[in-house]
Amino acid sequence: MAVRTIEVRERVMARNDALAAQVRARLAEHDIAAFNLVSSPGAGKTLLLERTLAELGEELDIAVITGDVQTQNDADRLAVHTSRLVSAVVTGGACHLDALQVMTALDAIDLDHTRLLFIENVGNLVCPANWDLGEASKIVLFSVTEGEDKPLKYPSMFQRSSQAVMTKTDLLAHVPFDLDLAMKNARQVNPDLEFFQLSGLTGDGMESWFEFLRASVRATGSVV
Amino acid sequence: MHEMSMALEIGRIAEEKLGERSPQLVTVAVDVGDDAGVEPANLEFCLEAVFAVPPFTGARPAILRCAGDVLRVAYLEVDDGCPDD
Repeated sequence: MAVRTIEVRERVMARNDALAAQVRARLAEHDIAAFNLVSSPGAGKTLLLERTLAELGEELDIAVITGDVQTQNDADRLAVHTSRLVSAVVTGGACHLDALQVMTALDAIDLDHTRLLFIENVGNLVCPANWDLGEASKIVLFSVTEGEDKPLKYPSMFQRSSQAVMTKTDLLAHVPFDLDLAMKNARQVNPDLEFFQLSGLTGDGMESWFEFLRASVRATGSVV
Repeated sequence: MHEMSMALEIGRIAEEKLGERSPQLVTVAVDVGDDAGVEPANLEFCLEAVFAVPPFTGARPAILRCAGDVLRVAYLEVDDGCPDD
């Protein structure tokens, strides 16, 4: 037996990253701002999107791609709030979306009449951090029912996100959650994080989120 | 777990490198950085599952720990059926 060695030295994520670059280029052609929403399960991604679609869905021509391990429940919830297509990706067990799934989902979306795209990733603070989907930035949701040390436990997700949305702030009076400490921990792993504090349930704090989205759409070249 | 996705991608890369010659794959060596966001034991487990079926049957993973966030297929060892030199 003659065992021979073949040098490879190829990054495992190279193919996904190449596809993500194609997604990014396609979105840029259409002046679409795209955000990848990531969080642990139950942090409030779908409720935030429900609120956002109800308020800005038509104004900003929002499209949504949702990713779930099983069921289309999130897509069904969101579809109530918009006449536009909500594209559901069922990952069939995978713990994250990948760029190929997003590329495929884009085919079903009217990109000429979309200015803002949300990709609601699978609820998981680990796996989605590694996968570039072609988004402008990752936005991590961090609810007050989680531990303040989540950013320290899952630094990669917070390091790779540009914005952090502190959710469920209506519960602050009822849970032993130190908001300042949580934000300090998040800044420790990513000093550049931009924060929002809001409650999707009561609507408190949503206006600054909406303004951020309007500004993001303007910045991509579309006039609001 | 995303290690299975990684393992499948590693299998795809290996298959692509082997090409149509399809020599017997013996080892797939993977550099895994400490900050790669991958649990080495999980990745090895997933690779063993991927290598349990053709065209990889009989191959074994070799996880090479290193610093940083590198995650790459380092090299393949193949038995191309030729006699020893």
